[in-house]
Amino acid sequence: MTLLAPRALRRYLGIGATTGGVILGVVALVMLGHYAPSLADFGRSHVLLLVVNAAAAAVLLGIIALNLFRLVRDYRRRAPGARLRARLVAMFVGLTLAPLLVVYLFALQFMNGGIDNWFDSDLEQELSTALRVSRESLDVQANSRLLQTSALAAAIGDLDGAALSRALSVLRADAGAEELTVFLPSLQVDASSTRTDTLPPSLSEDAVNQLRRHQRFVALEPLGGARYQIRSAVAIPGDSGYSEDTEPRYLQAVYPIGNRQGRLVDAVQDTYTRYTELRFLRDPLKNNLTLTLSLVLLLSLLAAAAGAFYLARRLAAPIESLAAGTEAVAKGDFDTRLKPGAADEVGFLIESFNDMIERLARAREESRVSQQQLESERANLAAILGRLSTGVIASDPNGRIRIANMAAGSILGVDLRSRVGDSLEQIAAAGPLAAQFIAECKPHLLGEQGEWRGQIVLNTDSTRRILNCASSALPGESVPSMKEPAPQGPEPAPGGIVVFDDVTNLLVAQRDAAWGEVARRLAHEIKNPLTPIRLAAERIRRRYLPQMSAEDGQILDRSTHTIVQQVEAMRDMVNAFSEYARAPQINIARVDLGQLVREVAWLYRSQESQPRVKLELVEGLEVDADAVRVRQLLHNLIRNAQEALEGQADGVVGIVVRSITGADQTAEQEFAEITVTDNGPGFAADVLAQLFEPYVTSKKKGTGLGLAIVKKLAEEHGGTVTAENLPDRGARVIVRLPIRAVIRDAGKDPRTVRSEQQRVRA
Amino acid sequence: MYRSCKGNSGLLAALALAFSLLGPAAVYAQETGLEIRDAGTHLESGVWYLSARIDYRLNRETMGALQNGIPLTFELQVEVAEERRWLPDVSVASLRQQFELSWQPLARGYLVRNKNSGDQRAHTTLFAALNDLGRITALPLIDDSLIDAGSHYEVSLRAMLDQQQLPGPLRMLSFWDDDFALESDWYRWKLRQSPREAPELQPGLFPEPPP
Repeated sequence: MTLLAPRALRRYLGIGATTGGVILGVVALVMLGHYAPSLADFGRSHVLLLVVNAAAAAVLLGIIALNLFRLVRDYRRRAPGARLRARLVAMFVGLTLAPLLVVYLFALQFMNGGIDNWFDSDLEQELSTALRVSRESLDVQANSRLLQTSALAAAIGDLDGAALSRALSVLRADAGAEELTVFLPSLQVDASSTRTDTLPPSLSEDAVNQLRRHQRFVALEPLGGARYQIRSAVAIPGDSGYSEDTEPRYLQAVYPIGNRQGRLVDAVQDTYTRYTELRFLRDPLKNNLTLTLSLVLLLSLLAAAAGAFYLARRLAAPIESLAAGTEAVAKGDFDTRLKPGAADEVGFLIESFNDMIERLARAREESRVSQQQLESERANLAAILGRLSTGVIASDPNGRIRIANMAAGSILGVDLRSRVGDSLEQIAAAGPLAAQFIAECKPHLLGEQGEWRGQIVLNTDSTRRILNCASSALPGESVPSMKEPAPQGPEPAPGGIVVFDDVTNLLVAQRDAAWGEVARRLAHEIKNPLTPIRLAAERIRRRYLPQMSAEDGQILDRSTHTIVQQVEAMRDMVNAFSEYARAPQINIARVDLGQLVREVAWLYRSQESQPRVKLELVEGLEVDADAVRVRQLLHNLIRNAQEALEGQADGVVGIVVRSITGADQTAEQEFAEITVTDNGPGFAADVLAQLFEPYVTSKKKGTGLGLAIVKKLAEEHGGTVTAENLPDRGARVIVRLPIRAVIRDAGKDPRTVRSEQQRVRA
Repeated sequence: MYRSCKGNSGLLAALALAFSLLGPAAVYAQETGLEIRDAGTHLESGVWYLSARIDYRLNRETMGALQNGIPLTFELQVEVAEERRWLPDVSVASLRQQFELSWQPLARGYLVRNKNSGDQRAHTTLFAALNDLGRITALPLIDDSLIDAGSHYEVSLRAMLDQQQLPGPLRMLSFWDDDFALESDWYRWKLRQSPREAPELQPGLFPEPPP
């Protein structure tokens, strides 16, 4: 309310001022119109007129100035509707100004011309002539009256006293004079006779001057009311006649002029006077009328301008509110509702606008809800994709990655999630596995081949991956790139999706299981007859050797020895097989890996003519592992390296143990890494891919089970093993064991989990 | 009213000095205009009479208007105020006398008419007419019974051209033009018990009217 009050007050003041200004303007115009035609009345109220006009003009000017200030301010601020208002005001004022100016100029022209037309030189001449004629006739009359007075003066002569009074009465009556008076030289009245008793007769100053100079005086005197009289005076010739020494007496006679003649000459004088007056007032009159007309113009113009502002505001108000509403909607405010306008097109427009906003708001709400649903679906999908062990890669038709999950990245050895949006070529350049995969699957990723299922094999120097793939063209519309123009010709497919599983481990596991079975059966079938064979051979030797000749005995001895030796060799081999195939319980405990490595390596250090063992260990690195198996794993690795270096004088076996952090499919995990390197000839290229399979070896000696067992032992711990040739010379085998035991099977103690092998067998 | 004029005499003097520095215009202003040469009151038969001698000097514009048939109305304003020591003066009598001076083309003369009494006198010259106009003799002012013997009274006299009687267009012009603003200063004197002589006629310098 406190805020509202000054605003309401200002509004009422504004309305009051405008109304007052308009009323003043109208009053001023009415007054001008009323007084302008009447010359006599015109000046009578001129002060009031000017004050009213000035007040009206001031109020209107104030209103206009205020409105103009507001308009300019709004225009500069680029307020909605300000331009429209400015244009409307300019248009209204222009429309008013042009006809007003035309009328003004024409009126001025006509007025000046009309006033000038009043004054005609002929008319002036005629009026002067008429006046002169009147004057002449009166002059003639006056002169004859003067002569008559002179005659009367002569008749009076030296008379004085009562005789003079009597004579004057008689003479006055005879001459038809109003007054006859004799003045003494001292200008005092000697004797007088008047027709009516009016003021005491006297000689005017003029008369005295004239008489003293010319001895006579005659003048026409207006009496008012179209009456005139002739006053004449002469010096009375005395007994001694006129002389320079004595002052004469004076006779003054006043004669009336006939009423008829008086009226006539008065009319002539009146007309002449009015004409000269008008002529004298010509310029002031013109100025006044011009001023009046200018005032009318000014007031009309100011009123029109004030009205123009008002009209422009009225006209622009609904459009301004529409513009403001549109702006608000553009900024996202859908709660805006415009006040309903008049029942015209603009009102209809406002109603439609409100209707539209309501629908827009509803549509936006619906879209928001569905967007939310979509978002949650997408989040679900992303979570599913993220946890999926199956790789998923989708591409758009331009060969840019749209979707790639973590599993895809870890299978292909490239962090694909951070490379969404990259082209297939860029992905291919990131790694050898990815390059082979892209080369195989590019047509499927581009969605050019529809449904497809198949297996692809990726080979690198160190690994071999077998992938089961399925692909399909993506449904939905194509999303053309904004940068490139739409290609001509047939519309491209919307891209494709390839889903793939790394089945290498599965296949390897299957093969390992098969080998395990073979080994177990072989051991079981072969091991049993070996002891009887050896015992039989030894019995033959013991029994028959003493009975034989030296030559036969030598042959028997060598043969039985060979049989026993070969049986022993076969037993070793069978033991190795059974070692590979066995599946004892794994006993996981906290093991100091560095200490373990040092113990095992120490055994090999003491042997002469063996390659040197060089250690690089991290102290205090503990892992969850079965110490017996890790020791066996180390034995196998060191022995494998030593065998590779056999016959080489400068052979060195390097063992490095360190802790690393590697990325699993789901999370980061800490590993202990055991790297065993040698500077021998390295692995043969043809076996590198199948190095960890049984009976794969590049050496002359050995069962071919060493690295297969290493792999098995590593996998039993949830670890991995990889092998590669060093760039210049030698080979390297890397074993990674998780520092914390991996829960392979839910609900079981990690320290008593069985190996994969055991499960496969089960 | 005239008391305030007195109070502002310093300001008026400064203004007068400023105008006197304006040169020829100020000189011309001195030559035309209305001036009260002398004025006085005398008591006769229980009535105070006013006598005064006023110079009427018309300027070119007023003369032009007069000779083109526009009558000029002059007004004499007389105030009698009782002077009071602590309180504002109070007016006890106020008199307005209007005289009309007009040119008579037929008689080739000037007519002076007292608009209050209706008396009129014709003159053949403007000089005589203005002389007649400027000679106030024994104008009854106030009854002596209205005058308190113990109080002091001051009489103020002023003559002016009544612009309200001019024709409309001239009146409008007079709004921003001083040509028709003929006005004398206030002439003040004490109302004395000793009778005074009427001032003597003094010839002025007036141009002769054209025939």
